[in-house]
Amino acid sequence: MTVGSQVKTLYASIKGIEATLSILAAQTNEADSRDAFRNTQQMINEIKHDLEKQVLLLAREEPQYNQ
Amino acid sequence: MPDWVQIAIRAISLLALLFLFTKWLGMKQLSQLNIFEYITGIVLGGIVAIHVSTLESPLYYGLISMFIWFIVPYLVEFFSLKSKAFRDATQGKSRVVIQNGKIMEDNLKKEHYSTDDLLESLRDKNIFKVADVEFAVLEPTGKLSVLPKRENRPLTAKDLGIKLAPDHEPQTVIMDGKPLLEPLANLSLNPTWLETELEKMNVSIENVFLGQVDHNGQLTVDLYDDQLAIPSPTQMPLLLATMKKCQADLELFALATENENAKKVYQRNSEKLQNAINHVSSYLQ
Repeated sequence: MTVGSQVKTLYASIKGIEATLSILAAQTNEADSRDAFRNTQQMINEIKHDLEKQVLLLAREEPQYNQ
Repeated sequence: MPDWVQIAIRAISLLALLFLFTKWLGMKQLSQLNIFEYITGIVLGGIVAIHVSTLESPLYYGLISMFIWFIVPYLVEFFSLKSKAFRDATQGKSRVVIQNGKIMEDNLKKEHYSTDDLLESLRDKNIFKVADVEFAVLEPTGKLSVLPKRENRPLTAKDLGIKLAPDHEPQTVIMDGKPLLEPLANLSLNPTWLETELEKMNVSIENVFLGQVDHNGQLTVDLYDDQLAIPSPTQMPLLLATMKKCQADLELFALATENENAKKVYQRNSEKLQNAINHVSSYLQ
């Protein structure tokens, strides 16, 4: 696996985590847990944006793997 | 009227009356009764027993005495609720027998409680050494309530300073293969959600003996067919594991890359993710 695809996999996992957290926040009927899940989702969201930039950067560096 | 009919009438009517009286008196469990309530119960039972087994005394005698034995305890209970002094007189007071780790010998004597009785009650609470006790009270029911010294109390999450996620009672949503709509509504879920969850587990609702949903909306089921393996809820442990894996990956990338800028990005995000894990892990367990 190239570095680019590794980071892409990680990016996908982070997206998955964010989605699962939002499901959990919607499912729970406990205000405390909901807040915790929402806050964590915010944190993960920041990480996601950071990684998105990194994925684009790597895609530019390794154009030969982009097909 | 033949005798046996009279006996039958008495038995049925007094049985009903006794049932109502004990209900109105709010009888507790036998072990929780104080001595007065205990005697009342026995006397009421005795009166009924006499009047349903012989015809020697007329029925209304029994009714009168039962009524008196009902109304007096009833009034006593009524006034006990209103006045503390009255309650102390009728129900007895709890008495301190160990205070600050020292045995109060005078109080023991007043309650006719011997040292052996005290030791026995303590052993009943798994305490074999009097020195381990900080405070003990002899309740009016004759039970000993014991507060062990701080270091002998079971360790709690509070002692360890661990923050635990709040926990609520689970709701039973499937019973004997049928969905229960009211508990589902309590969790603001609907039958369609239940169907989807069961489909995910690959079981049909007819095969579910009991299904419960916890406060996080995780469904656990017990099937009629015990040979079938059902997946336990994996969503939350899986999420935590994925988060940990991603955090490890980020750290790995940070070590692997030679690009200073990328290293910083990975490191920063790895720390952020670790924070997120710490924040949410107690809710995911």
